[in-house]
Amino acid sequence: MSSDSSSRSLWKGVDRKAMAVAEFTLKQQRKRLSTWVVFGVGFAAMAILTMFYIDGMVRDYDAIDNDGDSIDTDGDGYPNGQEVVYGTDIYNENSHPGLLTPPVEPDDPSVWVNEDDIDWDALVAGSHGYDDDGDCRTDARTASQKDSNNNGIPCDVRMVNALYGDGIAIEGDTNVDEDPDDAAYAREAIHRASVLALGKFGFVFLIGIFVPLFMATGLIRNEMTSGTMHFMLAKPIARTEVFLYRMLGFLALAWPYVTILILLEVIVFGLAGPSEGFFRLQDLGVWLSIWLAALLAILVYGMLFCMLGVMWKHGIILALPFAAWELGMILTTLGAPDASILRFSVIGWAMNIVDAGAALTWTDTPLMIEIGMWFDSGGSESLEGAEALQIFASTPGLGLGALATIVVSVVVLLFQAASCWFLGGVLFKSKEIE
Amino acid sequence: MSDPEELTPDAPVTGQGRMDVAWGANTGDESDVSTSAASTAKSGEIFEQEYTQWNGILNPRWMRNWSILRHHLLGIFKKGHRPWSMPTRIFILIAFLASLGDAAMTLLASLIGSAEVHSWFGVNRDNLYGHVLGFFPRNVLWYPIVAALLVGGVISEDRHHGTSALYFSRPVSRFDYIGMKYLSVVLIQSFVVLLTYFIYFLAEILAFGRGWSWMIDVFPMFLAGLIAGTILIVTYTSLGLSLSSVSRGRFFPGIGLLAIVFGTKTLASIVKNLFEREILYLLSPYDCVAHVGQAIIGTQPTYDQYPWTYSLVSLLAMNAAALYILATRVSSMEVTRE
Amino acid sequence: MIPDLSQQGASNQVTPPANPQAPVVYFQGVSKTYGRIHALSNITLGLSGGVTGILGMNGAGKSTLFKLLMGKLRPSSGEVKLFGVNPWKNPAPYARVGFVPEHEKMHDWMTALDFVSTFARLHGMTRDEATAEATRVLEFVGLGEVANKEIGRFSKGMRQRTKIAHALVNDPDLIILDEPLQGCDPLARTTIMNVIRELGKMGRTVLVSSHILSEIERITEQIIILHHGKLVALGNLHAIRERLDQIPHTIRLVGTDARALAKDILGHPAVYGLSFPNDHELLIQTYHFGELHAELPGLIVNNGHDVSEIDNPDDDLESLLNYLTGGSS
Repeated sequence: MSSDSSSRSLWKGVDRKAMAVAEFTLKQQRKRLSTWVVFGVGFAAMAILTMFYIDGMVRDYDAIDNDGDSIDTDGDGYPNGQEVVYGTDIYNENSHPGLLTPPVEPDDPSVWVNEDDIDWDALVAGSHGYDDDGDCRTDARTASQKDSNNNGIPCDVRMVNALYGDGIAIEGDTNVDEDPDDAAYAREAIHRASVLALGKFGFVFLIGIFVPLFMATGLIRNEMTSGTMHFMLAKPIARTEVFLYRMLGFLALAWPYVTILILLEVIVFGLAGPSEGFFRLQDLGVWLSIWLAALLAILVYGMLFCMLGVMWKHGIILALPFAAWELGMILTTLGAPDASILRFSVIGWAMNIVDAGAALTWTDTPLMIEIGMWFDSGGSESLEGAEALQIFASTPGLGLGALATIVVSVVVLLFQAASCWFLGGVLFKSKEIE
Repeated sequence: MSDPEELTPDAPVTGQGRMDVAWGANTGDESDVSTSAASTAKSGEIFEQEYTQWNGILNPRWMRNWSILRHHLLGIFKKGHRPWSMPTRIFILIAFLASLGDAAMTLLASLIGSAEVHSWFGVNRDNLYGHVLGFFPRNVLWYPIVAALLVGGVISEDRHHGTSALYFSRPVSRFDYIGMKYLSVVLIQSFVVLLTYFIYFLAEILAFGRGWSWMIDVFPMFLAGLIAGTILIVTYTSLGLSLSSVSRGRFFPGIGLLAIVFGTKTLASIVKNLFEREILYLLSPYDCVAHVGQAIIGTQPTYDQYPWTYSLVSLLAMNAAALYILATRVSSMEVTRE
Repeated sequence: MIPDLSQQGASNQVTPPANPQAPVVYFQGVSKTYGRIHALSNITLGLSGGVTGILGMNGAGKSTLFKLLMGKLRPSSGEVKLFGVNPWKNPAPYARVGFVPEHEKMHDWMTALDFVSTFARLHGMTRDEATAEATRVLEFVGLGEVANKEIGRFSKGMRQRTKIAHALVNDPDLIILDEPLQGCDPLARTTIMNVIRELGKMGRTVLVSSHILSEIERITEQIIILHHGKLVALGNLHAIRERLDQIPHTIRLVGTDARALAKDILGHPAVYGLSFPNDHELLIQTYHFGELHAELPGLIVNNGHDVSEIDNPDDDLESLLNYLTGGSS
């Protein structure tokens, strides 16, 4: 050992100590059966969710005739939709397009199910939608009939306050986008809801809380109880350092674990998700934010639980109610993401990151929810998947832009972790060790 | 050796004498060092040991078991019995008081004479169900955590401290020992869940002057709530004690129980909300109890995709598996200090 | 002169503050109380060099003394200095200290080599340096052959030696061993005692605690005696003994005719009491042990007595402790 005290060798010394303690902790955790039981159970839980997801992607969804125009009310062999396009009377069997010149062959009724899908690409500021099947554009309608929402544009759907904001009102002209492709909508909505549910509840909540609860609570406390901490504290290393490096060792196991799990899910969701290509790439932004939120959650909870363990022999008694509190808070984020009580939780900030990531990546999620729920009012049910998406997607709760939300939340979480470390270090330093 | 003959009246101050005065409180393990007297010993003797059988009358089995149970139960209230940690006892007290919330509100309703408040908090079908099986806050903040804290060390700590060896060196069978542990954990949870349930019911009777006819009317659903609460307690105890028997730590069983209860509940509700499938609720102890409870109390069921008997079967399976693990672990448990 | 750095910053110091004047171990009026129990009261002592045995019964305050020295406990009053630095605030001096705690629990899942080298790295060694050092010290304590076995499979003596190896790995100037011989079989005891004596010969400051007196006698002559948290004696065993001459002692004679012997000895001014356990034994009480002991052989030979044994039953540490603490407790 050199006695050279230049800053370089000083850094090296610290570096070596950090490596030694972290490596020691990593090996210690790796040798424990309970670590692998916890990891295995976490993996199994994610696998169960994933299987339900895959089933949700491959199963058939009923094609629902949302507007009822595949029905042939008058029994003349022509579906109502076709009759509307040609301006014949749907209630009169003696008035149908077959009597026109030239006569029109009757359509198969299935053509008039899912015939007017939502026009995502036609989105323009304030107005979107296109009457794919022509039952609005038909000459049989008057100009005022074509513009029932009174925005001056015939046969469109009007969005009041289209992108992110406080709610969106949809006012559509009659017979525009009225019969979307239910299966496509359901798959897309359930896919998004699944990513969010898995990310928020699976990774950030279940893994983010229980892995640290199992592994970090005893990081210092167990050693203090068993007396093995004496070996480490007899070496020239400060207790705050021991605290930090033990955490590093824990993170060296927990972070790769959650990263690998998320990577596996990215692959499964990429392959199974609704996509035009072979692999669905457009979710990567959301996955990144889930990954970031999960890492930070593990960091903060780890520091917190380790600190509680140092603070008190019965630290677990403080940690368990806290975990229950966080469960209450994550349920709150779903319904009221801007509730100020969430500022006093860890999960609230982590959820902000996921929500902001989703807002950046899937800008049209609120629109999708609105459209899906729009069908609720017209007598028929809301589109399948819309409710799930509504439950699991929420707007970031800080009232800031998405990027700003991420930055602020990351800073707050890091601050929480640092305070826990600081507090844990101070507590540890003032502890007399028997 | 004969007594030393004294020549002088002032008795000699010998090393041995001083030692006895100064070091009278020897702990005993110093005796492996020769004392001054021992250094003069020239001969040794081996005494023949004679063992005689104890001819007393062993108390009946139930009495021995009762003393174990009593030891565990009294530990909640006072010192000198099984040392439940102070925080655990404080938390049980908090949970007990919090569980009395509806009883207090019933009394309040009778004081201010508000029928509306009474309909929210007084005894009725939904509130009886809610008292034992309401999700928030009772089954998030209070009951599972009380169970988790109780099972935390009940077996694993005994093994850790070596006190299980003390039990097993007495005329107590392992199954009696574990049975009494089980019963004591069940009974302590009953203080929180069922005793408050009785008090709640009593508060209603006293505050509103309910007569016999009302009591007989309400009794079936009261009984159903009692049964539901018992199922809840027994299930949590089985799961918790089986975890306690497989682990050595104080932390693992408590966290494990909470992870099972909250984890399965969370997973099941995710799947329910995403895919409209309720089948995963069969894995969740809380939801199974809630489903069975709804069925026997007769409230509006919130699980409607499968019959409640499935939940009952699932509960039985959970309990059986947990008890099986507990039994095999305890019968093969080594009683060394770990 | 010596920076009193906070714990956090100070550990970064690779070289501990060297103060050649400061004693290695220094206690100034140190007390440690737990509620109303005085674990240590008003200890003042300074030590540098040599092997020092710390004696005391269970609960005398030996471990408390060490824990204060290792910064595990904070003194209730007074000042503890290790190489001139307050160990509660600053872990830097541990770079020059090796500590063998009394706790039996170890990291059973590690191999001895892993264990020792991991903690060597906390001294800022690289992985290779640490492994080389660990191999060396394990060899030194006689565990070279089992270095790659898990500690969980070790016997008690091997575990103690592993702990000693862990303490020696940084080539410390001060080695503190808390009950290193406890629970070891005679063979392990001998090995460990040899190691400790070896360290003393190498010029290290060694502190060994024990409640078993003969063990300490075999290791060192320099002792500290603690009783009920009080410092009772400090210094060379024999020097302390000399100081005890004013305290009554017993001399035991064994001969053919004890009574005849007694008649001749009774006249000596140093003798104040005699007793006969049996016909062949004579116990003499004296206040002037040294004087009587010098003259006794002459008395016996001049009077032609047949004496087969002369023995000082009180002249062991056991009795010494008695005399020392007789007045204080």
